[in-house]
Amino acid sequence: MTTLWDTTGSEVVKALAAERRAAGALAFGLALTLVAVVDEKNVSEAEGAATLAASAHPCRLLIVVRRQIDAPHPRLDAEVSIGGRLGPGEAVVMRMSGRLALHAESVVLPLLAPDAPVVTWWHDEPPTRIAYDPLGVFADRRVTDVTAAADPLAALHQRATDFVPGDTDLAWTRLTPWRTLLAAAFDQLGDRPDTVVVQAGPANPSAQLFAGWLRNRLGVPVTVEESGRRPDITGVVVHLGGEQLAITRTDARSATISRSGFPDRVLPLAARGLGDLLAEELRRIDDDDVFAEALGTWSDLPDLGTRPPHREHVWHDPMNISTTVAGGPVSVPAGAPSAAADSGAPPVTLPGAPDAGSAGPSGAAPGLGSATGLGATRPTGATREHEADGR
Amino acid sequence: MAPTVSTNPLRDPRDRRLPRLPDASALVVFGATGDLARKKLIPAVYDLANRGLLPPGFVLLGFARRDWSDDDFAQFARESAEKGARTPFREEVWDRLASSVRFVQGAFDDDAAFDRLVSTLEELESSHGIAGNAAFYLSVPPSAFPVVLKQMQRTNLAAKGASGWRRVVIEKPFGHDIASARELNALVDDVFTPSGVYRIDHYLGKETVQNLFALRFANTLFEPIWNSQFVDSVQITMAEDVGIGTRAGFYDETGAARDVLQNHLLQLLALTAMEEPVSFSAETIRTEKIKVLRAVSLPDDLDRYAVRGQYEQGWLAGERVAGYLDEKDIPADSHTETYAAVRFGIETRRWAGVPFYLRTGKRLPRRVTEIAIVFKKAPHLPFDQTDTAELGNNQLVIRVQPDEGVTLKFGSKVPGSAMEVRDVAMDFLFGEAFTEALPEAYERLILDVLLGDATLFPNNAEVEESWRIIDPLEEHWASTTPHRYRAGSWGPAAADDMLGADGRRWRRP
Repeated sequence: MTTLWDTTGSEVVKALAAERRAAGALAFGLALTLVAVVDEKNVSEAEGAATLAASAHPCRLLIVVRRQIDAPHPRLDAEVSIGGRLGPGEAVVMRMSGRLALHAESVVLPLLAPDAPVVTWWHDEPPTRIAYDPLGVFADRRVTDVTAAADPLAALHQRATDFVPGDTDLAWTRLTPWRTLLAAAFDQLGDRPDTVVVQAGPANPSAQLFAGWLRNRLGVPVTVEESGRRPDITGVVVHLGGEQLAITRTDARSATISRSGFPDRVLPLAARGLGDLLAEELRRIDDDDVFAEALGTWSDLPDLGTRPPHREHVWHDPMNISTTVAGGPVSVPAGAPSAAADSGAPPVTLPGAPDAGSAGPSGAAPGLGSATGLGATRPTGATREHEADGR
Repeated sequence: MAPTVSTNPLRDPRDRRLPRLPDASALVVFGATGDLARKKLIPAVYDLANRGLLPPGFVLLGFARRDWSDDDFAQFARESAEKGARTPFREEVWDRLASSVRFVQGAFDDDAAFDRLVSTLEELESSHGIAGNAAFYLSVPPSAFPVVLKQMQRTNLAAKGASGWRRVVIEKPFGHDIASARELNALVDDVFTPSGVYRIDHYLGKETVQNLFALRFANTLFEPIWNSQFVDSVQITMAEDVGIGTRAGFYDETGAARDVLQNHLLQLLALTAMEEPVSFSAETIRTEKIKVLRAVSLPDDLDRYAVRGQYEQGWLAGERVAGYLDEKDIPADSHTETYAAVRFGIETRRWAGVPFYLRTGKRLPRRVTEIAIVFKKAPHLPFDQTDTAELGNNQLVIRVQPDEGVTLKFGSKVPGSAMEVRDVAMDFLFGEAFTEALPEAYERLILDVLLGDATLFPNNAEVEESWRIIDPLEEHWASTTPHRYRAGSWGPAAADDMLGADGRRWRRP
């Protein structure tokens, strides 16, 4: 293991190459790169989950911790290990502070495994728009978790608004065991049901996706009923003629399937840990059309799956501009003076981004001009000014 | 995989998060207290349950002579699962499974026992909703097949009910020559429909073997050179370090050729040499496999190109081991072979002139199964001869077990100021590039039986065709004595001479 303090991206690349040589047999079948974006306070949880997922899917694991964006000097600390505490594969934990945190891609891009798919996973609250985070823009698959948001349902709606194929959310992944059981129960049913009721705690995004999926697949009314204070899904009831089919969670590890005229059956329905959820996401690198349909049906936004999968990076400085959450623009007061934060870089005027002129009036938000010193680091015109309406 | 027509609105082929689950059904194991059930079948059933791949109404029904209750069998199954399962043993998974374990006591010639079996299955229709679906696993010696099958015929167990399916699973040996194989096939097909018969060749359940399809037919890289224009020869090896264990009686009657060559090795040969199937379904794959097996030819000079051996005492893995003739219950004058190596040809345009060398043996230095495609040398080498002295043939090796994966061997320049080309190996290990721990072959095959997917099961035409290939060898060998080889060596010298005569040598696996 190599630990680098106050280092540079090139040093990290060299350290990884040295670790690879030292590891001897270099026949790592790298299938993908997993970029995990996490807050300092959740690092150990995210590391545990990513390690578990990486042991199931050998990959290069890049953990990006952004902290203290307002620190006066940009700084990078890194830990490079192969076959160490972060599982059998290659792992790099990077802590970025100061303005560097907004340019994490400058460190991450050279570390991606050549020509292998990239999966970016946000452990904490998802970005309002994935295009704001360059670590999401170059990823082939993007995994968010709306349950980490203060208002999960608003966040889920925002995910639908911002959706492009290749996005998935762990709220959907958590649903797989339920969907598996229900689909197995449906194998024995002849007809389409009349109505379905999903029972879950309030504001459970998985229950909403469950309902969206069932509405989409069955074309019948599906309601979500509150079933107590616990947030989890507790059951699903299918009404079919005079008959009823119910799957009810009995304890943390099993569920009961009961159907009129048949004996009850108890089946395993384990609550899965974060690592297992992430491993399921890594299993498939292609788009999840079924998720797109379920999300589209729930949010009433049609044809999510046919949106162009490409995203362009939108420059977004969390420190000094208004940002948007689902439900309407919310003005966030400018934080620490960004001109001071950018003291390392001389102010540069906007590069000739092709669509720079098309940005709304908010493009002239106070402080943004000075922040575009960062825009100069981008080689192409892929950086766009932030559009205040968030869409 | 075989297309399953589903009217379930919640199923969508694009929804690959949802596993395919079989219908509610019973797996009836005859010989449920035997070694195979204890070591492989029951652990595989547990692993499937643990992975959530068994349907709500799944029942494991044991049938054996021991005077046991359901609970006794459940206890036995629990111990087997704890010992043999690949996935961690979890109490709650077992509890769910244990409530669906049944036992029927009886001998195979006991009419009353089979009547009890029938009524137990009828009870399960209402208690577990199995709707007549049942798979019968004959984990019994071949001599017991006729009795069991007759009983099933008598009690109408094999007949399809108004709804649901009835399937039978049989293990090798599928006869001991073409006549006995035909007899067995006729017997089984008489009771079950041919499409309801699943012959287990557990090699076909291995991931690497299935990966052969992906390697050959999903890539552009390999198929263009997969023919006699580029391939020099093919070597298929299945080596075991163990001796005959406790199977003396069976083994001495059977020998290596019937035990391994006839089924596993010829199946591997068929998968290696077959043409591209028009689709990935059981029927189309079998069509192509049968075509290849029909084209397999034996060499004219059987003395030289069909070598068999028998191990003598020797040292293996640091221990002294006894010779075959000194093994318990083996007659001192036995002529049974424990090693067989044969050169086959395949009379098709693709393979004309390419020898397929197949070998198998016991008490060889290590346990390994692999398929090695040896390519021709480059037609012209613009180097000095000394530059390429250490350059061998390019090879593509599919490692079936252990270390499942693929190795590509090719020449590379040795770093330095001189031009020197030497063989290097590029390794692909399944365990490293992918993901989930590899499932056991039996897990996959039992699941396929319950799902009704016959892709990985040889049918009776293949079995009979394999015997057509093996029978002349056995006839030729009947009057000869096997060559001797020391335990712990790579087989008799005659096998090396066989390749030496062709200007080749065996690859050391």
